[in-house]
Amino acid sequence: MFEFIGKNIKRIDAKDKVEGKAIYPQDIYIEGMLYGFTVRSKFPHAFIKVDVSEAEKVDGVVKVFTYKDVPGKNHHGVVLKDHEVFISKKVKRIGDPIAFVVAKSKEIAEYAASLVKVEYDILPAVFDPEEAMRENSPKVHDKDNVFYHFKIRKGDVEKAFKECDVIVENVYKVPMVDHAFLQPEAGVSYIDEDGKIVVIASTQYPHFDQEEIAQALGVSKDLVKVLTPAVGGAFGGREDITLQIHLAIAAFTLKRPVKAVYSREESFIAHSKRHAMKMYYKTGATKDGKLLALEAKIIGDSGAYASWSMNVLRKAAVHATGPYVVENVKIDSFAVYTNNPFTGAMRGFGATQVPIAYEQQMDILARKLGLSPIEIRLKNCFKEGSETATGQILEKVALEKCIEELKRF
Amino acid sequence: MKIELNVNGKDYSIEIEEHLRLIDLLRDKLNLTGTKEGCGEGECGACTVIMDGRIVNSCLVMAFQAHKSKIITIEGVEDEDIKNAFIEEGAVQCGFCTPGMILAAKSLLDKNENPSEQDIREAISGNLCRCTGYNKIVSAIKKAAEIKRGGRNV
Amino acid sequence: MYRRIKKVLGGDILKKRGKGIGVTFYGTGYGNGFPDVSRAYARLLEDGKVEILVGATEVGQGAKTVMVQIASETLNIPIEDVILVNEDTSKAPDAGTAAASRQTYNSGNAVKIACENLKDNILQEAKKILNVNSKIGLVCEKGSVYVKTYPSKKVSFKEIANINNNLKGEGVFIAHTTQMDENGQGAPYWPYTFAACAVEVEVDTETGEVTILRAKLVLDVGKAVNPTLVEGQIDGGFAMGVGYALMEDVGLKDGKMLNSSFEKYIIPTSLDIPNIEKVLIEYPEDTAPYGAKGIGEPVLLPVAPAILNAIYDAIGVRFYEIPVTCEKILLQLNKG
Repeated sequence: MFEFIGKNIKRIDAKDKVEGKAIYPQDIYIEGMLYGFTVRSKFPHAFIKVDVSEAEKVDGVVKVFTYKDVPGKNHHGVVLKDHEVFISKKVKRIGDPIAFVVAKSKEIAEYAASLVKVEYDILPAVFDPEEAMRENSPKVHDKDNVFYHFKIRKGDVEKAFKECDVIVENVYKVPMVDHAFLQPEAGVSYIDEDGKIVVIASTQYPHFDQEEIAQALGVSKDLVKVLTPAVGGAFGGREDITLQIHLAIAAFTLKRPVKAVYSREESFIAHSKRHAMKMYYKTGATKDGKLLALEAKIIGDSGAYASWSMNVLRKAAVHATGPYVVENVKIDSFAVYTNNPFTGAMRGFGATQVPIAYEQQMDILARKLGLSPIEIRLKNCFKEGSETATGQILEKVALEKCIEELKRF
Repeated sequence: MKIELNVNGKDYSIEIEEHLRLIDLLRDKLNLTGTKEGCGEGECGACTVIMDGRIVNSCLVMAFQAHKSKIITIEGVEDEDIKNAFIEEGAVQCGFCTPGMILAAKSLLDKNENPSEQDIREAISGNLCRCTGYNKIVSAIKKAAEIKRGGRNV
Repeated sequence: MYRRIKKVLGGDILKKRGKGIGVTFYGTGYGNGFPDVSRAYARLLEDGKVEILVGATEVGQGAKTVMVQIASETLNIPIEDVILVNEDTSKAPDAGTAAASRQTYNSGNAVKIACENLKDNILQEAKKILNVNSKIGLVCEKGSVYVKTYPSKKVSFKEIANINNNLKGEGVFIAHTTQMDENGQGAPYWPYTFAACAVEVEVDTETGEVTILRAKLVLDVGKAVNPTLVEGQIDGGFAMGVGYALMEDVGLKDGKMLNSSFEKYIIPTSLDIPNIEKVLIEYPEDTAPYGAKGIGEPVLLPVAPAILNAIYDAIGVRFYEIPVTCEKILLQLNKG
């Protein structure tokens, strides 16, 4: 029926990649380009004072950029603009960018970075999201650490739990994990012949980066051009800005090409993580295996910045029942600031964490009820016309077929 | 200091600094950017090159250690069977691990044209990939081996 | 106690096997009523090829190939005749982020609409050139337009482009979702993609090591634009799920990551991943381009819970916290 759809067309980018010809940002070399190296916070929560004078004296250093050198707005962020391009007063996590040393070589930039003096006035920090939810806990952003609370209320869980023959209650914990894409962040920025500020970087969303770069430079969006050559994996870890704005500010100010390449360790420090979550689950069913009620409290560690946390915790809540019909649902999800690394998008985006809980709950219930794992799922799974916990009516549901297939394993 | 080496069949005599790594020599001085740096500590294999017939992590080899050696990088791999098999089997995704994988595969197939699946998995076990889950890379190497054996018999 | 049993029985009893499943769903896109927009342009080039401008990033998932396949299908032109421009914000329009499993669905739709609009303009021009009374009855095939019932009346895309070099099409697609109310009620995502996974594991009760012996992953794809690419996503998602269940943790201590290198942050290698039996369930989604849903994230979700359920089946220990490392398994087994 189709000529091209459903066919195993060979990847159009594969040939360049097998020949080593695909260009990633670190593969770009421009005559006379400078190198940047980022000075980052060593403490999770502190007021800082920065002195770059010694670093700037190093032979080969062109300029050391700090918050004072941001031409436009000193902020960025995919939802809330709560990241600073360079920290002005207070670091909120280990790894917060403080300064960007630009020099004639990588080695000089890195050496000079060690001479940037940062005075830390250490503040009490908070690392456990549940502790951060308490009123008297240290405040990461000078406001309540709980910056998002999403609720799903459907039916009457209290009444429904009384009607359940079996109730399973457990607490699940998942850690922060890293995208671990193989290509560490790298980028080059320069001003092209039309006077546009060009940023070549590995990003998932070039048009959004373009806006954020323009805001930080204080120029119109049309003056910024983002090029995305080959990207070495992303998985959500290239949603937030890392080095794009630093490079753009340096190239814009110095009118020279500037490059930066992160080491693996800096890559870990610079980009977001998958949310660590603590998930309190209570699931109840009748003796014939029908799910009647589900109550969950999901606490997501957002770390020092919001990034996509609201959306991630919302997605976690919407998916918290699993693909099953449950008529009585009470779900509360929270995004909480701590002084940990910040968390954001990662493959699955909140819908990866909750199955660790809901799918184990299903197996535990099945065992108590004397049902097989497949039986309990088939009994409760979404079907044509099923209603989700948010009241959404589903159509085109191929789920039963998927589960049936597992019988042949 | 000055070193002499042969890279992809070409002789070089080149002035280097003592602290220079082989990967920097290849990328920064010889413009062979197909060799990738994924971790800088010999854990990921993205910087794999063949040095005197053996695969090495070029981030762990100092440039001076390559004096008088023969290096093959991805740009010097003439084996079309492996490259085509990678394309045909869908063994390439983001591509950052691909050059290292292909060199690890070449090194295996140079020694053993009839590797078992376990041989293949072991041969690439020092090369990390986050995209493909390895299975299509394994089948690509199997396929390349088959083509090589078939080619010889014909 | 477990130790004693091992000592008495010895041998094979040290390795325990178990099976487990995981079943999941995933709602595509930004969701919750957010304006989830993808934009694409299609333009007929002088040489008769078609340029597709769409700001969808290739991150390794195969976006470039998928966009080209959709354009080829819609215009019925060879793959080589589609010139994709997606890497420059000054040329390609905003197609949203390469995330949320949304590029095939959202930007694929935008490309399809752009190509349909271009095709319409091409047919309009061909109608004039061929001097026929209607577009109806004209067929677009392999870079030419001809009269279906009289195929020798034909004009190539190249000839059309030489007569009119301004043939374009724009495609805008906005995913339909509604914002939820204060009780979390609404239609937050669309479409939903389902996945089911089964694994068999072997747990070495002496070392705590978990080996995944075999696996099956069933994926509701709507329609696979490129089955090899889908399989590649399944393999990759499976590997990431193995890492999540058994290995990965950045290791936080007072806000510091202890495992911020590949030496300490362990991800699966080729030796950790089994061959996976893959089943693609094709049940085309009405609102999707040729029925194709997003699958990049859905492939990952059921893997880790399937492994956890299989470990329980093997050794009778439930792990409420991941990753389930060898140390954690030994600790639990030795508690007896």
